[in-house]
Amino acid sequence: MIQHVYVLLFFLIISIVLSALFYGSLLKTIKALRRLWYVFIVMVIIQSIFNRAGSPLFSVWGFTVLTDAGLIKGSEFLLRISVIIFSASIAASSDHREVVQGLVQLKIPYEIAFMVSVGIRFLPLLRSEFVDVMTAIQLRGVDIEKIPFKKRLKIYSYIFTPIMAGAIKKARDLSTAMEARAFRAYPERTSYLVLKLVPKDYIVMVITLVFTAAVFILYYVFGFPGRIL
Amino acid sequence: MQLAFLEADKVSFAYDGMDEVISGLDLSIGGRGFTAIMGPNGSGKTTIGKLMMGILKPSSGRVFIDGDDTRTLSLGQAGSKIGYLFQNPQFQIFSQNVMDELVFIPRLKGGDESSLKRKAIRLIRLLHLEDKKDMPVFNLSYGEKQRLAIAGILACGPRYLILDEPTTGLDMVRKDMLISILKKLLDEGMGMTVITHDRRFVNNFSGRLLNMREGRIAETVI
Amino acid sequence: MVQVRDHVGIKMTIPLEIRGLHFSYEKRGPSIIDGIDLAAGKGGITSILGLSGCGKSTLCYCMCGIIPHIYEGILSGEVLIFGKPASRMRLPLIFTRVGIVFQDPDTQLFSPTVEDEIAFGPENLCLDRLEIGQRIDECLKITGMSRYRLAHPEKLSGGQKQLIAIASVLALRPEIMIFDESLSQIDSEGKARIKDTILELRDRKKTIIMVEHDLENLAIADRVFFMEKGRLREIDKNRKGDAIGLFRGR
Repeated sequence: MIQHVYVLLFFLIISIVLSALFYGSLLKTIKALRRLWYVFIVMVIIQSIFNRAGSPLFSVWGFTVLTDAGLIKGSEFLLRISVIIFSASIAASSDHREVVQGLVQLKIPYEIAFMVSVGIRFLPLLRSEFVDVMTAIQLRGVDIEKIPFKKRLKIYSYIFTPIMAGAIKKARDLSTAMEARAFRAYPERTSYLVLKLVPKDYIVMVITLVFTAAVFILYYVFGFPGRIL
Repeated sequence: MQLAFLEADKVSFAYDGMDEVISGLDLSIGGRGFTAIMGPNGSGKTTIGKLMMGILKPSSGRVFIDGDDTRTLSLGQAGSKIGYLFQNPQFQIFSQNVMDELVFIPRLKGGDESSLKRKAIRLIRLLHLEDKKDMPVFNLSYGEKQRLAIAGILACGPRYLILDEPTTGLDMVRKDMLISILKKLLDEGMGMTVITHDRRFVNNFSGRLLNMREGRIAETVI
Repeated sequence: MVQVRDHVGIKMTIPLEIRGLHFSYEKRGPSIIDGIDLAAGKGGITSILGLSGCGKSTLCYCMCGIIPHIYEGILSGEVLIFGKPASRMRLPLIFTRVGIVFQDPDTQLFSPTVEDEIAFGPENLCLDRLEIGQRIDECLKITGMSRYRLAHPEKLSGGQKQLIAIASVLALRPEIMIFDESLSQIDSEGKARIKDTILELRDRKKTIIMVEHDLENLAIADRVFFMEKGRLREIDKNRKGDAIGLFRGR
């Protein structure tokens, strides 16, 4: 049973190396992962309880809380999530102007690409406004947790109002400012920033395709790693 | 040792991953009278306001509100003692209707309808919002929104106010109006701390002036 | 087209002229602008003072074509930009003649770097990359922000953000610049630097209109008007007391 863990560990190391190679911010990603440890523990316990196979390692009042199979399955889960997160950190490393430019160069109309960019830009702002509104209403003595559910819905509408109002005003001001700089003057626009595909990019694309194909072939044709290890 | 209403004891604070904005601050502010905290941008005066309110907790040292350590107080508990006016009134107005704004929170805490309405009308008069009483909040001007936010805070009955840069964006006439409103509150026994960069505004009051420079305070009397 | 002779006798067109302007947002609504005439010449700073809500921003929007092209309402009279009526010009063309800087620095900046922000306008005009690069250099120099070329706008101070907003608007090379209460949310250090930039623009013969509710910003103006009840009245900039009296309603 342990073999899957080894395979996953192998993939994790690869994704960490690739992430470092492509400027994904490793420290930030590791920090984000640290918050997952309690999810790991919950997963281990759940797997232990619901997975019949496996010998118990720890019991409380005759109720099995921890099995070796559970520990392994939980670890697999954690490793899988980590692989995904480290891979995603590569995509998150580009600033949003580059993301927009990438979309535009893929021939997506620039209005849509800009909507994406503005969304990315203003999401953190909306989030901090939400925090401000929540702080303000709590300061008035409204402790959200202590309010019965029915009344709580009404309170949410009171929280919703200033956030909506703020978002609408921002949208209006922003669109006016953009039009005041001739946005959508013409159906096309030039770009100062140009993303070029250099040979390195082509090499990475080819290697990725080859690797993916290899994994598929190995698994479906040769049954590796399930059968052989 | 008797603690003042607002007490900071060797308080230091740094935002996540940044240098200390406040280091080793000691501060005592009484529950009555006018105190102004002034200083250039980046001197940390807004941060002090938030630390005194308990919105931010100190990295080291302690802040006390009426004897309670802010680390043990919830925002709701702190808010029942002190009203805090954020710089942007927009995020402090929760209703779409002036009257409702002043009534909806006291109503949650119980109390009969008619006394709630009476208190609301008194606040509307105090804050010069009579002719806007039935207007939707959306149509209020910036100055009117600010006064509504102040009324909303007062509706929860705090004894003390902290105001963060209340003069930004106000024209001369609205500033005068704010000065007269604050003076009236001071006369009624409310204590307040105003965080501002506007010296002329501060000169209308008598009390303490605390000048911030690089995380440290120098005091004068006004 | 109105022609004005300067002292050398060369015919020139007035950059910005307003004739008999009336405006209200709704048919039976109050007249926000109730008969305004104004002529602003090259290389001068015209300041328009007034209380909050007197319609100063509405006047700004009329001067740069936002009214009637973006915001609608009942407009009569004319706004002439270098002799041409704004209501009949295409909006992008207007903004290569008139630039406007708003009050809130945060809702005017939306790009990841300062360079991208300034490039935005010229990119919209389909200029080539070389030209865009030159304009970025030029605008950073005028506003004294060359050091911040690759900075993230959200991390700048309020005053610095406004300077970048000004630089971004200047990138379209307008001859007329309107400042709609651009100083009101800025601290004193930022205000000083923005005023320096405005003076620099005046030295470069731009036509500048500053709309304000703060008397402190009067000092750099050449002409001062007070706006009340939808009308303008010229006042002597050296008589601050007059202005204060007007604000307080005498």
